[in-house]
Amino acid sequence: MIQSLDPRIAREKINEENNIAPLTEMDNWETYEVFHQKKRGDQHIHVGIVHAPNPEMAFLFGKEQYGRRGISVNMWVVKTSNVFASDYDDSDIFDTVPEKQYREAGGYKVMSKINKYKKENTL
Amino acid sequence: MYGNAYIDPNEKPKSIIDGEDPIKLADFEARIARGEKIEPKDWMPREYRKQLIRMIEQHAHSEIIGALPEGTWITRAPGFKRKLALMAKVQDEVGHAQLLYSAAETLGKSREAMINDLITGKSKYSNVFNYPAYTWADACVIAWLIDAGAIINQVANAKGSYGPYGRALDRICTEESFHLKYGHDNVVTLATGTPVQRKMVQEALTRWWPPIMHFFGPSDKISNHTEILMRWKVKMATNDDMRQQFLNMYVPKIWDLGLTVPDANLKKNEETGLWNYTEPDWDEFKRVINGGGPCNAERLAVRRMAEEKGRWVRAALLNKSEKYVTPLA
Amino acid sequence: MEHIKELLYKMADDLLILGHRNSEWTGLGPILEEDIAFSSMAQDKIGHAQALFQILFELGEAEPDTNAFMREAKQFHNSQLVELPNDDYDFSSVRHFLFDHADQIRFNMLSESSFEPLAKVARKIKGEIKYHVFHADIWLVKLGNGTEESKARMQSALNMAWNYALGIFEEGDYELQLQSENIFAGEKELQKRWLEAINPIIEKANLKIPAESDWNPILGGRKGYHTEYLDQLVNEMSEVFRIEPNTEW
Repeated sequence: MIQSLDPRIAREKINEENNIAPLTEMDNWETYEVFHQKKRGDQHIHVGIVHAPNPEMAFLFGKEQYGRRGISVNMWVVKTSNVFASDYDDSDIFDTVPEKQYREAGGYKVMSKINKYKKENTL
Repeated sequence: MYGNAYIDPNEKPKSIIDGEDPIKLADFEARIARGEKIEPKDWMPREYRKQLIRMIEQHAHSEIIGALPEGTWITRAPGFKRKLALMAKVQDEVGHAQLLYSAAETLGKSREAMINDLITGKSKYSNVFNYPAYTWADACVIAWLIDAGAIINQVANAKGSYGPYGRALDRICTEESFHLKYGHDNVVTLATGTPVQRKMVQEALTRWWPPIMHFFGPSDKISNHTEILMRWKVKMATNDDMRQQFLNMYVPKIWDLGLTVPDANLKKNEETGLWNYTEPDWDEFKRVINGGGPCNAERLAVRRMAEEKGRWVRAALLNKSEKYVTPLA
Repeated sequence: MEHIKELLYKMADDLLILGHRNSEWTGLGPILEEDIAFSSMAQDKIGHAQALFQILFELGEAEPDTNAFMREAKQFHNSQLVELPNDDYDFSSVRHFLFDHADQIRFNMLSESSFEPLAKVARKIKGEIKYHVFHADIWLVKLGNGTEESKARMQSALNMAWNYALGIFEEGDYELQLQSENIFAGEKELQKRWLEAINPIIEKANLKIPAESDWNPILGGRKGYHTEYLDQLVNEMSEVFRIEPNTEW
């Protein structure tokens, strides 16, 4: 019998040779991805995962694992298997040629035209 | 809280990149050299994956086992403030285990497999937790100095190359700074308190000093193996560097309290800036890591008890139709 | 003031003792995530107890640490339900369910109490208790609808806990005065509302409340009669504090 200094453990009266069957696959359930919103008006952001057997419990767990210091006002949990994630091997898919200035604010420069016009017309 | 991952010194240092695709390897190394992070689904060398799993898993085990010596004092912590703080601290350690197991899972080892390796003794955890917390003051010394050591290690590792581990460590370091303050406050209160309290804390420090010196592990053998792991930003600092950093930051704080560190040779060499100390007993370290410490048997038996007691609960909620999917990040 | 003190003591002691019992799960829970959640709730309970001991202190009683950690077991006013050992997760979660519903309703009633310090605490901790009840309900329903083993375990835990839970509502000496001064509407009213609240959840969990003919409230806790388990827990709680009771720890 384990002689523990910990009264909680001593109460359990544990044998040293308490071999147990190994945990089987999924014993700790599936995983959920947790997203929280720090304050109203912010986007939800991913903060990590929890193991949980259903969405309600994923929320119960996510709330304490990721929000216990009071930094969330809202939380989403999504089963990992329901997330479609792009592949890092395909990250060049996000590369784009630099000529697409027509869709950037910086692609529109009008001051030189205005100045030229003002000068020519002595406004 | 955690020390450095224990790497078996007898492991064959044969080239760990044998058989890797040279082009992929070059891309991988270039990415790390640019300071970019590696993410779960990226290509990575076998040895990178293996070492990271081992390291993060050991770290996670250390957190869950580390909850036990301090947990010894949960019901007995004196007064509301200490009781609530200790509960929150031990809770954080359990939370850290959860974060770290999650990070290790992204590398392809399930949490169940890691727990199985822990409870059968196949996988290691930080050696310090194989020592008992005899008195309340032991719990205070652990909270201050073991967590201080852990922060040094974790701050270094947080800059490592593996994204999920770094993210977990950032969060962990924030919480550890509360632990460190809490631990220091406890030790200061005892050291500046009544003669009985002072005696308690001195005795605890004397007991914990050897495990603290063991905490960062023996000097690294500079091998090809360690060099590659450092290049890959898996291993971020040498054991000796971290031990020196710890001594430099905390020995003066201990001495400030008029407490005695049980090492007559402990002294800073002002020229080199390095601390001299009596070489820790590494035979004792090996004996304890291989199961011979005062609490090894208890720690694993308690984990097995906890897993077994929870089994019916977990089984009751199991969805038979679900399949395990590796967490994303 | 005796009537208010009596009310505060029984509430504070319930929370202090249950918080300690629940804290024993820290690091030993059925799964990491639940370990964390359960620990948070244990901290909340002890924190709520502390707030009530603070009010008692302001009413002239000993300061909170001394009051909470220096009394003998027979001076405690908690119901016996909260002092029983944790046993397995079945009993722990059923106790959590039965107690926390009563706790939530009690504090809801008190949030409109004419005794403002207590009403203020009640309003402040509302969100925390809401989580506790939310947590308790989901677990009860899921385990009650789980495997044959979990169903059987939850039913026998409910049977075992039931008469102890009825002991929560043991009346004190000042029920009428508390009501007439609009401080607290009383244990009878609380029990009535409690039954209304827990019934539908227990039904959803496919569990059965013991037949009314078997209801036999286990009383005495409020008057200082306790099981051997409280003695042991109180000694443990105060072990360090008693080494030097008049000093900071």
